[in-house]
Amino acid sequence: MANSATGALAAAVLALGAPARAGDLQGLDNEQSLALKGTVVDLVCGLTGKCAPGCGGGKRQLGLRADDGKLYATIKSVTDFAGSTADLLPWCGKSVELDGLLIENPRMRVYLVQSIRAGASEPWKPTIAFQEQWSAKNGKADEWYRVDPAVKTIIDADGVYGIKGLEPKKQ
Amino acid sequence: MAQTRRVQVAGELVDTWCNVSGIMFSLGTAHHQCAVWCAVGGIPVSIRDKAGAVYMILRIEEDEDLVGSPRLARIMSHEVTVDGELIERDGVKYLLVTQVADDKGVINQTHEANGIQPFGK
Repeated sequence: MANSATGALAAAVLALGAPARAGDLQGLDNEQSLALKGTVVDLVCGLTGKCAPGCGGGKRQLGLRADDGKLYATIKSVTDFAGSTADLLPWCGKSVELDGLLIENPRMRVYLVQSIRAGASEPWKPTIAFQEQWSAKNGKADEWYRVDPAVKTIIDADGVYGIKGLEPKKQ
Repeated sequence: MAQTRRVQVAGELVDTWCNVSGIMFSLGTAHHQCAVWCAVGGIPVSIRDKAGAVYMILRIEEDEDLVGSPRLARIMSHEVTVDGELIERDGVKYLLVTQVADDKGVINQTHEANGIQPFGK
């Protein structure tokens, strides 16, 4: 599920200053390019009316209430193994344009946010906020997920299979 | 506001992106490490039941701070039974968990057939 190529492409498109984009297809099941306009919302707030200040400050899952009224679960960014909360949080309650992939799986309909902008006159920005924030806190790493302290604590305790004592066979 | 319905859901805790996008084999021991990466990375965690239905968790008891939640990351791939409130909207089953009734740990051993997903290590 690595999306580094997607991120590089998004950055390249950004550098070219392209006025409009279409989500970069990745050969995934049930995928389609889709640009969206709408308002960034805290999903719990949007569904139940129980809202937190500032959309939960990055701790609540976010989504997009599109201008057509549909609610999109925006669950993934172009950073490998990372969601899009860090990218969307600055837009809490504000109107925004997203570009990316809709996964129209009958089991669940989800959206990969590849780039984001305030409006048609603004440049697209790739969704790399998680990586930027992680690097600012932990230092540079090509594979954040291999060296993240929280990940290491869990994998060190339970192993890569999640069962204490069950380890990969030595090659 | 959306209609809620009381439900009990039993299934495996999965990372929603890999499971729904079908980008790789994404269940059990073979995918446990990746599921932890994704949970720590802030991708929503879901329960996938035996019928294949996927329920995105937005709350556990009073805890709504679930982005990168250590509590959830520690129990990825576990087989759990939860009580909660289900809200269905625009193609997503959202779950507000009121109680974790059972946690059997990781029981879905898929690594012998699938190795370690996605990179083999």
